[in-house]
Amino acid sequence: MLPVKDIGDLLSEISTLYIIDEAAEITMEANPGTIDEAYLTAVRKLGVNRLSLGVQSLNDRELALLGRIHTAAEARDAVCFARGSGFDNLSLDFIYGLPGQTLTDWEHSVDDALEIAPEHLSLYALTLEEDTPMWTAITEGFLPGIDPDIAADMYELAEDRLAAHGYSHYEISNWALPGRECRHNLTYWRNLPYIGAGVAAHSCMDGHRFANTKDLDKYLGYFSGKKSSLLELDEEINPELELAESVILGLRLGEGINADDIKSRFGIDILAHYRRQVEEMAAAGLLEQTDRHLKLTRRGRLLSNEVFWRFLPG
Amino acid sequence: MEQALTRNFCIIAHIDHGKSTLADRLIELTGTMRHEDIGEQVMDSMELERERGITIKAKAVRLHYKANNGQTYRLNLVDTPGHVDFSYEVSRTLVACEGAVLVIDATQGIQAQTLANTYLAMENNLVLIPVINKIDLPGSEPERVLEEIVSVLGYKASDVLLMSAKTGQGVPPLLEEIIRRIPPPTGEATRPLRALIFDSRYDAYKGVIAYLRVADGRIAKGDRLRLMSNNTEMEVLEVGYFAPQPCPATELTAGDVGYIATGLKSVVECRVGDTVTTLQGGVTEPLIGYHPPKPMVFAGIYTTQAEDYKYLREAIDKLNLNDASLTYEPESSPILGYGFRCGFLGLLHLDIVRERLEREFSLSLVVTAPGVTFTITKTNGQKITINNPAAFPEPMEIEKIEEPWVKISIITPSSFIGALMELLSESEGVYKYQEYLGQHQSVGELGQRVRLEYEMPLRCMLTTFYDQMKSRSRGYASLDYEFTGYREGKLVKLDVLVNDMPVDAFSRIIPPDKAHDVGKAMVAKLKEVIPRQLFSVPLQAAVGSRIVARQDISARRKDVLAKCYGGDITRKRKLLEKQKEGKKKMKNIGRVEVPKEAFLEVLKLG
Repeated sequence: MLPVKDIGDLLSEISTLYIIDEAAEITMEANPGTIDEAYLTAVRKLGVNRLSLGVQSLNDRELALLGRIHTAAEARDAVCFARGSGFDNLSLDFIYGLPGQTLTDWEHSVDDALEIAPEHLSLYALTLEEDTPMWTAITEGFLPGIDPDIAADMYELAEDRLAAHGYSHYEISNWALPGRECRHNLTYWRNLPYIGAGVAAHSCMDGHRFANTKDLDKYLGYFSGKKSSLLELDEEINPELELAESVILGLRLGEGINADDIKSRFGIDILAHYRRQVEEMAAAGLLEQTDRHLKLTRRGRLLSNEVFWRFLPG
Repeated sequence: MEQALTRNFCIIAHIDHGKSTLADRLIELTGTMRHEDIGEQVMDSMELERERGITIKAKAVRLHYKANNGQTYRLNLVDTPGHVDFSYEVSRTLVACEGAVLVIDATQGIQAQTLANTYLAMENNLVLIPVINKIDLPGSEPERVLEEIVSVLGYKASDVLLMSAKTGQGVPPLLEEIIRRIPPPTGEATRPLRALIFDSRYDAYKGVIAYLRVADGRIAKGDRLRLMSNNTEMEVLEVGYFAPQPCPATELTAGDVGYIATGLKSVVECRVGDTVTTLQGGVTEPLIGYHPPKPMVFAGIYTTQAEDYKYLREAIDKLNLNDASLTYEPESSPILGYGFRCGFLGLLHLDIVRERLEREFSLSLVVTAPGVTFTITKTNGQKITINNPAAFPEPMEIEKIEEPWVKISIITPSSFIGALMELLSESEGVYKYQEYLGQHQSVGELGQRVRLEYEMPLRCMLTTFYDQMKSRSRGYASLDYEFTGYREGKLVKLDVLVNDMPVDAFSRIIPPDKAHDVGKAMVAKLKEVIPRQLFSVPLQAAVGSRIVARQDISARRKDVLAKCYGGDITRKRKLLEKQKEGKKKMKNIGRVEVPKEAFLEVLKLG
């Protein structure tokens, strides 16, 4: 983890350049096994007020399968350290849909997570990327394949269980107690400008989405004048694309999108502009329209790619 | 040159018995070409022919040979196609010759097409010189093969030559035997012209080049001629022979083999088997009764991209310039779009056409399951012929269905008889006859060689029969077949419905007792290859309104990108763009999106 002093320097540097809102959400991400209570107490004192823990699972067999360095006990310890150091806005990440994971396994995980009672939960279906060790193991038959239907059952189980415990499903993979939605991430889904600082950081503003190089030497080279650019990506987002992205990102939200909001931003009535797509997806039961409002249905959330690609230009 | 010093002959053989190698050797030995100038094989000039080891189009080469008696002879070697699909062309070639060299592989002995070609040559009164080839190979059994030739074909052992066309061993005596045994051509140069076309090809500069054998009379440049089957008139732009490159000459006279350039635009006008005579003062009787070869196998040919249809049309038109036996007419399918229903001489012909279209014209094709022509008598008395299952009438409208049958002859070592008889019976074959070839005592480990004769519907030969025959006989069995006529069949049309919509390209005509099994297999294959859709998709196989097999593809439930934050919006959007591109490549069956590959997989199913 970054030493406490560096975090302090970072925050004080930012406060000399910008005025930081008193109620600003300042999140730090950490993995269990890398932090203790003293560290967390120190960063909490510096002003960090939200902690996101990469728990992933509370089952040692699953953690091993995921190649994580921590155990379930260490994950529970991390939660205790967080609470003990005064974090009252805690988010936990979990992964489901693992090879061999049953619906019952997942049900236990969800119940365990609810017992911890975090303010925020991110539940991610495992995405198998080609040429990863797990992909190889599955391809070669050492691990069972991932059944998309079981993953869908797990998602729906979590939706029902979390709703019953008062969590709102405010984004495809995110749940929060009232008022605890991640303000930072909402910026992305509302397609508003954001700025990222540091190596590999992404930003989006003024019709461009750009990213700093992932290579630390190159990144530092820029500041010593050896490199002319630190950008690895610089994509122009034209208005047509920005509109499409606003719809796609907005539909990830539980509240969906409001045609009037989009109209005041882009001057385009999406209900007319995307009428064919909206009608087709509504007929397929993936999208629902209430007055000027569009959102994914329960089934649509699980099949959202089918909805989204239809809104892409060209 | 005196007619007495001319010999017209061809080489006939089962596929791969060494016909082209022997031709090369004769060309070399007579000094027509030097060894180093002979490419792979002179007589097989099409790339495809060389790869497949067969000769598709007949050609003729003139050789000059100084015999042991001091005389120089003119030998016209006419090449013949080596596959059963082209037996019609073989038979025309034989008419142009007085003799034939029958090549038999010393490692294999008599094969199905050895017999078929021998009978054909005998019917045409050709003098046959049997030779046993490949005696240099370690596995050769010249004695066994010699015994087979003697007992099956009735030759004396002293009539048979032993050689290796590859090494040249034993080939020179063949030239002497050709002169000694094959008679010179008869015919009178002073009589009115009669010449038989035994092959033709299209040349962009000279129009159709017709290969012909002059029976009577003479042909010179500038002559005005007439084709007797269709009264097409033409002027001879050039006359000559091949040695093996074209050599223009002043004339061709009775007994000669050579070519004329006709200026005609398509080989369809100038068909193999037709007789040419002079426009004025010509003969009234053709040399042989002319009938164009009948296509026996039909399939729909479409492009995978609908917009490529016009290129397919151009390509087929061009191919037809050189392949008169290819028939085609436009057809359209609700799913495949616009294409052609093509007629072929056989499956090999179909394969060759498809490969040439894809290779020479860079087209990506969808070829529907091959079928035959059915004759259907409807209950109202109307008689129709159908070569596309999609056009089949409703069951209640059908009084009688007739389909083409073939007589097939298989030669196999006896140890495979059981496996082959099983295959034949599964393929609706009817046993006719069985005979052992030769009485040679030293039978190999696979047993004595046997000829099986069956009759079966041509329909049953069209999918996997040949491959099955080869695999069940470990490659030893050889096949020949001939069309015998139409017979009544009890048949039904099996439809395949995807999401309640019949897919015409999947329909097939089969016996009712096979409907369940075939239907089940097709539905299972479809379930395997069609991706899950946003809704559940019933797959059904039906005969009329009776469903014989059904499976459902359940609706897709999950297709979601779990994470999408500021750092990966661009990457995630690109994934969606890829998904969108993929959708464009799908073929639609109603609302169901099917990848092109899936479609082909099902068409390939037997």
